[in-house]
Amino acid sequence: MTRRRVDLADYRSVEDLFRRESGHLVAALTRVFGPSNLTLVEDVVQDALMAAMQAWRFEPPRDPKAWLLQTAKNRAIDVLRRERRLVSLPAGLDADVELAGTVASALSPTEETASQLAMMFSICDDGLGQETHVTLILRWLCGLSPHEIAGAFLVATQTIDRRLHRGRARLAELRRLRDVDDADEMRTREPSVHQALYLLFSEGYHGSDPTHPLRPALCTDAIRLAELLLAGRATDHVQAHALAALFCFNAARLPARLDDAGVFLPLSDQDRTRWDRSLIDRGVIHLAQASTGERLGRWHLEAGIACEHAIAPSVKETNWDRIVDHYDQLLLLNPSPVLALNRALAVAELRGLEAGRAALVALANDEKLAGYPFFWAARADIERRAHRPAEARPLYERAVSLSRSRAEREAYQRRIDRLGV
Amino acid sequence: MPKFMYIFRGGAFVTPGLSPTEMQAHLAKWQAWAGALTKQGRSSGGHPLHNGGKTIRGQDRVVTDGPYAESKDLVTGSLVLEAASLDEATELALGCPVFEMGGSLEVRPVAATDDEAAGGPR
Repeated sequence: MTRRRVDLADYRSVEDLFRRESGHLVAALTRVFGPSNLTLVEDVVQDALMAAMQAWRFEPPRDPKAWLLQTAKNRAIDVLRRERRLVSLPAGLDADVELAGTVASALSPTEETASQLAMMFSICDDGLGQETHVTLILRWLCGLSPHEIAGAFLVATQTIDRRLHRGRARLAELRRLRDVDDADEMRTREPSVHQALYLLFSEGYHGSDPTHPLRPALCTDAIRLAELLLAGRATDHVQAHALAALFCFNAARLPARLDDAGVFLPLSDQDRTRWDRSLIDRGVIHLAQASTGERLGRWHLEAGIACEHAIAPSVKETNWDRIVDHYDQLLLLNPSPVLALNRALAVAELRGLEAGRAALVALANDEKLAGYPFFWAARADIERRAHRPAEARPLYERAVSLSRSRAEREAYQRRIDRLGV
Repeated sequence: MPKFMYIFRGGAFVTPGLSPTEMQAHLAKWQAWAGALTKQGRSSGGHPLHNGGKTIRGQDRVVTDGPYAESKDLVTGSLVLEAASLDEATELALGCPVFEMGGSLEVRPVAATDDEAAGGPR
């Protein structure tokens, strides 16, 4: 396979310029203002975006991004001058000349990635929980409002506000954002960053919002941020490539996950021509670059599984042997009931329905799976395919009763309707 | 063709706490609405205003910071367009996104000085 450089620009659509630049500006200006002045930074960024919405409404500027950066720079300098005596600013910002120069260099294109990495690694602090990490990433790197984050997680806006408050307080204890060129610092924090991005992606892939079961924008954000890791000098490129590969393969299948009525389609019914080939190619490139290291970590194995699905022409022609093998290795690394469930489904394809059925039944006592609609639907699917509709029906009914969204419920109801019993 | 001026007040531009996505979506609506007027050859673009500024008042020419209006009445821009009549200009204004967030719009005939338009608005 030829090595191609992964083009970071692919996903930079104009539609999310405001959101993306919000993330960039918050990170860049936090480096200048210091993490304890994050609220001031948020005000500056909000003002700059409001000014853009105001000014561009009859005619957009030739270079919208440059316009936005210039506006943010001017506002930042104004605010720093005004607040100089009121808030504690990092040393070296007392003379006007230095101040303008510092703001300008923080906003220069060469610092764009470094600022966002510094913000991401500072956010994923051990003193904060994983849900808080994702919340802060969505707020400060992806430009979502507390209300929008609350909608994605299906929790009250106050809960999000509390997490943001905790995050602000924790960041305020830092004198400056984490040093992204410090290899030791990167290594200790990297697993939390990867985990947070994984949760961010999952939220987009099977989100908790019943009216929007898929949120492709969150998946795109997760890909963008994972690829940002690749631009860091001290980040673990092998792991980041594996994570990015996993996201690309799964995101490629998003266009086929729901049918026209907004109902989830099982893998076997998905129209594979609707899968995004360019994302699959992108995943293949990442996976090839992830395979240069010795360590076969969780992301490699998950990406390997996703890859087999993405490149297979049909369910039948999928390399189930390799998938089961990857699941076995994953379960050794990280025993989890959901992984065991997915392994059992792969076993059904590889070794036959009865083997799959036995593997699923063996999981029946797991409390987590008992509340998971997909587990019951998976068991029902096996019964249905083994021509035991009477056994399948109550299992599907259980899946329906546990469904979290209309997209899920109708997918299972539809299968009941087709049982003919 | 007679000219009219739209004077925009309040709305999204004085609404705090909008998210980047909401701002960009709102901006797109403005660009679609104003763009259509330009495409029809009715207008050559508007004049967006920033919210700050100075006010000068009275014989003593007292200069103060900022416009004084309440935010819902704050003038946020203007646009001059050509329309057959005040009614048509009003009709064309109904699709303006300014109303979405509590804003308002004033339609005013531009007073012409050439012979053709003499006699005021029809």
